[in-house]
Amino acid sequence: MHNDYRITWKHLLTLLLAVGGSTLLITRAPAHDQANFPMPGGKTYVDECGSCHTAYAPGMLPARSWRKLMAELADHFGEDASLADPRRMEITQALELLASDGSQATVRMRRINAAIPANAAPQRISETGYFKFIHDEVRPSIWKRKQIGTLANCIACHPRANDGRYGEREIRIPQN
Amino acid sequence: MIKWLLMLALASGSAYAATPRQILDSLVAQAGPASAARGEKLYRGKFSGGKTADSCTACHTDNAKAVGQHVRTSKAIDPLAPVAHKDRFTDPEKVEKWFKRNCNDVLGRACSPQKKADFTAYMISLQ
Repeated sequence: MHNDYRITWKHLLTLLLAVGGSTLLITRAPAHDQANFPMPGGKTYVDECGSCHTAYAPGMLPARSWRKLMAELADHFGEDASLADPRRMEITQALELLASDGSQATVRMRRINAAIPANAAPQRISETGYFKFIHDEVRPSIWKRKQIGTLANCIACHPRANDGRYGEREIRIPQN
Repeated sequence: MIKWLLMLALASGSAYAATPRQILDSLVAQAGPASAARGEKLYRGKFSGGKTADSCTACHTDNAKAVGQHVRTSKAIDPLAPVAHKDRFTDPEKVEKWFKRNCNDVLGRACSPQKKADFTAYMISLQ
């Protein structure tokens, strides 16, 4: 009778394969599950756009939004952020290529894009449907903390936002 | 030979590195002697010409060695004083870019070479 419960090499091998297989699946989960966005290569984008605010991931707005924004830099939310060519052109092209309606958009970027009306060219990511939906658990009192301050300050809670990384595990909410 | 290699290295970098002292020297060459005391007055002064902020300290705080915060976006800003942040005042192109923008943001006009020299002298004097 007790022979039925004996651990054999076959059992051990099955266990090993199951654990190993699951581990592989977990560690190799696709990038979009970690909320990674493709970012423009090189330093130009983060240097030029990331000094005053987070270097936002292009995939959070459609190409038409970026085109409008990059054409109106002399009055950029009330400030003069004008940028000379060829840098302005270089950044515009990178933004359009990686925009939410780009041909290589990830699953998450497609969802962001689907929540933006086709006739709208939103200029604030925080006014898009997906932003509101994904942040609905964040209490108003948290947004008011001094180190966060505005909805535009992604990098306050997503320390690797300038690398396009917004994964839940990397969120660090400032305590004051 | 070494001189040639050095020039090649300088030319190949998109923005060549300098020391804060070299940047101050080139400003002094345009403006005349710099005064850290005048620079501090500029840093702490209140102005009404700019649209973004009324002073340098609005974003960079009373202490240029401390982390600042952008008044509009709340983004954290690395300390301005080279003693607290080694990259500051090491890239001539970047220094000019930010004098141009920030003088306009706070004063509503460009800063003279004298103002830039004084300001840089103050930043370097902080230890």
